[in-house]
Amino acid sequence: MSASDAAAITVTRASTWRWGASLNLAAVTLLVLLPLIFYPLLRLLLLSVTGDHGLSLDGFTSFFGGGTVWSVFGTTMLIVFCSAGLASLLGIVLAGLLFFFPVPGTGILVRFLELFVAFPSFLVAFSMIFLYGSQGAISLALMHVFGLAHPPLNFLFGFGGVVLAEVMFYTPFVVRPTMASLSLLDRRLMEAASSLGAPPAMVLRRIVLPLALPGIAAGVILCTLLTLNEFGIPLVLGSVKLVTLPVAIYSAATVDLNLHAAAAMAVIMLAISLCLYGLYRHLAGRQLRLAR
Amino acid sequence: MLADRTRHWRLLAAAIATLACAWLFILPVATVLLSSFAKRWGGTVLPTTLTLRWFERLGADDWSALATSLEVAAAVAVLGTVLGLWLALTLEERGRERGGALLDLLVMVPNGIPSVVLGLGILIAYHDVPPGFSDSGLIVLAAQLALVLPFCYRSAASALRRELVVLREAASSLGAPPAMVLRRIVLPQMAPAIRSSLAIAFAISIGELGATMTVYPPGFATAPVLILGEVERGYYLPASALSVLLLGCALLVLIGIALPWGRALAWSRTGRPSPAAKLASQ
Repeated sequence: MSASDAAAITVTRASTWRWGASLNLAAVTLLVLLPLIFYPLLRLLLLSVTGDHGLSLDGFTSFFGGGTVWSVFGTTMLIVFCSAGLASLLGIVLAGLLFFFPVPGTGILVRFLELFVAFPSFLVAFSMIFLYGSQGAISLALMHVFGLAHPPLNFLFGFGGVVLAEVMFYTPFVVRPTMASLSLLDRRLMEAASSLGAPPAMVLRRIVLPLALPGIAAGVILCTLLTLNEFGIPLVLGSVKLVTLPVAIYSAATVDLNLHAAAAMAVIMLAISLCLYGLYRHLAGRQLRLAR
Repeated sequence: MLADRTRHWRLLAAAIATLACAWLFILPVATVLLSSFAKRWGGTVLPTTLTLRWFERLGADDWSALATSLEVAAAVAVLGTVLGLWLALTLEERGRERGGALLDLLVMVPNGIPSVVLGLGILIAYHDVPPGFSDSGLIVLAAQLALVLPFCYRSAASALRRELVVLREAASSLGAPPAMVLRRIVLPQMAPAIRSSLAIAFAISIGELGATMTVYPPGFATAPVLILGEVERGYYLPASALSVLLLGCALLVLIGIALPWGRALAWSRTGRPSPAAKLASQ
């Protein structure tokens, strides 16, 4: 076999390989991504802009025309703001403590946090009924200790309970990315600064925070996104007066059987969530590039 | 003096971290566990009498919901892992250029959208099309599969590291057919990733609520749907019993996935771990 033959075979093989790769890509797109993700989202989009007689924006107008929509929006945003804010603060402080003062077991803990993604949030909310409810263990214990006539805690089924549950559940989601972005930092920079006499607060403010900021921001955005999308906690601890967007979508679709309104709300939520998710990916990518 | 201060900080950090972990992770599970064995819990700080009555009283619908949960979760874990592997291998061979990055973004989309919205999309798209699909457990399976796909893809993609590709390329350049490369090199290399993908898909599926509640047809309620119904009606202790069974089953399966099956198989076949498995575990 001459050299040119061998080269020809290599070229043919490379081009068959490339064809195979393209075919594979097409197959995976058509057989997996399209039916599972994009066709359903497309149908959702289509349904939101059709009425009983062809194209219409009835779903959106009935949704925005009703008086409840702004209260649902307001409730959702207030819950997201409070719970994501508190969870972020707590998560960043915890991550900093765990990173700068590692104790035995920190490694196991961090690996455990990765599995926590899968723990059902509604069970956290459910367990709180036994602890923080007005007849719960903590409320009754306080009553006994301080000799009160009435149970002192009465916040669980409402705004306070939802925020407490979301803070408890979503704090680990901030701890993990924050610790990851701290561990990407170049330790030599911090050591150099402190050896040149910078006090710890200055090292934190001038070196750690600027370098870790994109990663920390990514964690905060992710936490915001997840609290926005949370369904189980407001379902367990919310009430008729406290309805968040996902719960409103669910009850429009399955209780009121108004699929057009549900689809309209879902499309609006989709837009908000995807924007937040895009921002998260951008920030997380920037942290990686910054570390390199 | 400085060292002394650091030690104080260290102790404080350890105390805070321990307390936070106990509060965030241990307390909820312990509470549900305790309440499932309580005769009643209300009016006293802790339950006074322990009983098995809530487990004995579980009805046929509880057991069938538990069975549905386990079946769906097993199917989601296996299918999600297979599809995740396929996606990761396809996108890796494609590389980052020419649409690779875009496709990577698209695969991750379910991570960014509410489960209720994804469930609603699946319901709208398939509620009437193929007969026997939307009134069976298959629609639940489809909704949960869409939700776990990004996690499975991520697990598989994180294992396809540059230094492991060399072995695969060497095998194919020495004339091994693609099926043999997949069986002898890629799968052993990916064993840890396959395991984590199975585990995360199973765990997500077994506790999934939003998408499942939106799509499930009559007779195919999963255990979380039933638990939530009981909680909303105020039957807290029966709900605890079912939750404990669900968590117990999930724990057993996750431990089963984590056991070193692959190494045992490799041992029984050759008497020593395969080089690919050794490389991948480094």
